Amino acid sequence: MIITRPIRVGCSGIARLVSAKRLHSHLTSSSSDELSHFNELAKTWWDVSGPQRILHKMNLLRMDFIQEMLRSYVPIPPETDIYVPGYSLDLLPSEISQQIVHEQETYRDEQLKQANLRALDIGCGGGILTESLARLNYIKSVVGVDLSPGVLEAASFHKLLDPITERKITYELKPVDQVQEKYDVVTMMEMLEHVDYPAEVLIQALDKVEVGGWLFLSTINRDLISYFTTILVAEHLIGIVPKGTHSFDKYINSKELVDWIGKRPGFEVVSVRGCMYVPFKGWVFCGDGTTGNYLAAVRRLS
Amino acid sequence: MSMIFRRALASVSTKSVEPKVVDVLIVGGGPAGLTLSAALKNSRITRDLNIQLVEGFKLDGVKSFYEETPELLTNRVSSLTPQSVEFLQRIGAWKFIRQERVQPYDGMVVTEGLSDARLSFDHPEIATMCENVNLQSSLYQRIKELESQTAEGEAFGLDIKDDTKVTSITKDESNDWPIVHLSNGESIKTRLLVGADGFNSPVRKFSGIESRGWFYNRFGTVATVKLEYAPFVSCAWQRFLPTGPIALLPMPDDNATMVWSTTPELSELLTKVEPELFVSLANAAFLLNNVDMEYYYQCLRKDETEGLVDDIQWRIDHMTQKFTEEELDEKFPVKIISVQDKSRARFPLRLSHADTYVADRIALVGDAAHTTHPLAGQGLNMGQGDVQALVNALEQGITRGLDIGNLLVLEPFWADRYPENNLLLGVVDKLHKLYACTSEPIVALRSFGLNAVNQLTLLKDFMIGHVSGK
Repeated sequence: MIITRPIRVGCSGIARLVSAKRLHSHLTSSSSDELSHFNELAKTWWDVSGPQRILHKMNLLRMDFIQEMLRSYVPIPPETDIYVPGYSLDLLPSEISQQIVHEQETYRDEQLKQANLRALDIGCGGGILTESLARLNYIKSVVGVDLSPGVLEAASFHKLLDPITERKITYELKPVDQVQEKYDVVTMMEMLEHVDYPAEVLIQALDKVEVGGWLFLSTINRDLISYFTTILVAEHLIGIVPKGTHSFDKYINSKELVDWIGKRPGFEVVSVRGCMYVPFKGWVFCGDGTTGNYLAAVRRLS
Repeated sequence: MSMIFRRALASVSTKSVEPKVVDVLIVGGGPAGLTLSAALKNSRITRDLNIQLVEGFKLDGVKSFYEETPELLTNRVSSLTPQSVEFLQRIGAWKFIRQERVQPYDGMVVTEGLSDARLSFDHPEIATMCENVNLQSSLYQRIKELESQTAEGEAFGLDIKDDTKVTSITKDESNDWPIVHLSNGESIKTRLLVGADGFNSPVRKFSGIESRGWFYNRFGTVATVKLEYAPFVSCAWQRFLPTGPIALLPMPDDNATMVWSTTPELSELLTKVEPELFVSLANAAFLLNNVDMEYYYQCLRKDETEGLVDDIQWRIDHMTQKFTEEELDEKFPVKIISVQDKSRARFPLRLSHADTYVADRIALVGDAAHTTHPLAGQGLNMGQGDVQALVNALEQGITRGLDIGNLLVLEPFWADRYPENNLLLGVVDKLHKLYACTSEPIVALRSFGLNAVNQLTLLKDFMIGHVSGK
């Protein structure tokens, strides 16, 4: 038998999302065996060639996704001379279109720099994403929260190694429901599949998003492909992910997630995108996010 | 009392002053280091980086070149592939090149000393000959232009220190960032340390990266020469002699530059002989057969050079009378008539390739990572390719919010460059070895090969594509 972790019997997926509503908020915390697992990993968290290499690699794709979303939502005002309706850009000679794209991107740089965004990274772990967010020149500050003291310690130590992260990041050991303020960018990566009551966590996360702000999250579809890639192959066969990282019944289908968020007024799921790990290449985007791992971007409209 | 104490304290604290901190410290102000500086400041993504460039020698010649261009050509000349030129155009440096001193060429003739085999290429713009100082100057001017465009109140974030040597490199104990100690007493701590510091790279030695390779036991002798008349078509000539190839490369008008690769002993003699005799020998090297050349080498060794110029002339006349004027034009380069005073210099030829170009907070570019035989004119272009790939990697790293000293950022740069450079180094090495051979069957075989290739347009197009970097 390859599976060393017992698959929990009980409510899973959408049932977990629904049933969570009636549970008390302290249940937003991860289960205790999850916590001890991550405590163990703290020591090697920042070794990019170590056990978390695949997570470091995944972070590259997350950042591409976040950047793409944030940048594409900086409007180019129609009255400026760099405004080109999207459909006609491809018809221009490549030199001209490259020049226009360059000027548009420069405009976006300037706009974003003035935005001075504040970010919250829920389930920040050792701070891989937290640090990446902090280094973006348009992000003013980042708060990282997690429930595992061991990894937070690793994160707090590591942020001191770089003056930028030292200045911009605050780490706090607390559950998301105890975060008081609202943020322009909220991230919750590879986290829903590790908590017992994801709906409660999602409600809390969405609550922390400022109007006009974003929630970025990533998790895993509950299907055979995910089981095959994330547990059987990644953990047991080739061991690129530490054993016991995932439990199948905690995975959430993207459709469940989109439907659930769709019912909440004021929020819009802007994009859901699948991603997969290709050996020797790293993580790549693939498909519409209905199988395997996926990323989602949610915007708060009101 | 307390006043004195406080003053003493103050003076102590200024002595143990914290080193200046930068994002990128580039060691070396040669073509690779300056290209990297200009490219990073040109990019919208990397322009905010705080950069320090340190060069051991004075850059006065580079700084003044654009405004006070010297009359004579300098002897350090490189062949720039169209790809390198395109990159220099893209980063805005090419417009500062003194165009009257560069020479594009569209033909290349390769012959050999032991048979009549020949290979000739015609291709619109194979490469452009350009003095290294002209290239460095264009980059320096571009950096100055970018500096002048900095918004008011904003720091430019690029400082160039010349005449400053690296005395040692250490690591910061708290976060492992490299600290570079300079000959002026300053110390600079950096997020990323780039070694553009040539073959004996101190940065590579600090990083512990091994470089493997060998000396060819050959030296290149360079010289700037005048031709009898300005050639009608600009063409590069290269003839493989058993001691190494001799190349004559066009410069504007009746100027040309040559690289003569030969044994250490001969190269020393060649740099010392009377200019007149040097010119005769260079002409002979393109025309006469190897037996004649061997005889002249002997004369040089024995220092029996009297009447040698006349002897060479007689043999050349004897050899060329077989050909019509037209054939001569087609088969051989225009005659060299003089060599510029003090332009002869020699340097050892070697192959070296670092095991990797990256380590934690370290990147190597150009000769610090690889050196090659000059026979294919690729050395400088490989460095330009490195810089281009490094800038791409840093842009991507910054977009992804990564620490640019991190291996995750630097690995794609070396993955991008290593295979390509390795292939080029290998091909050039094999060519050198193939032509160093005098064994008859091998000469026959390679002559057959050269002639066969000459007939195959498709293959030639493919080869020229590689040489010109397209």
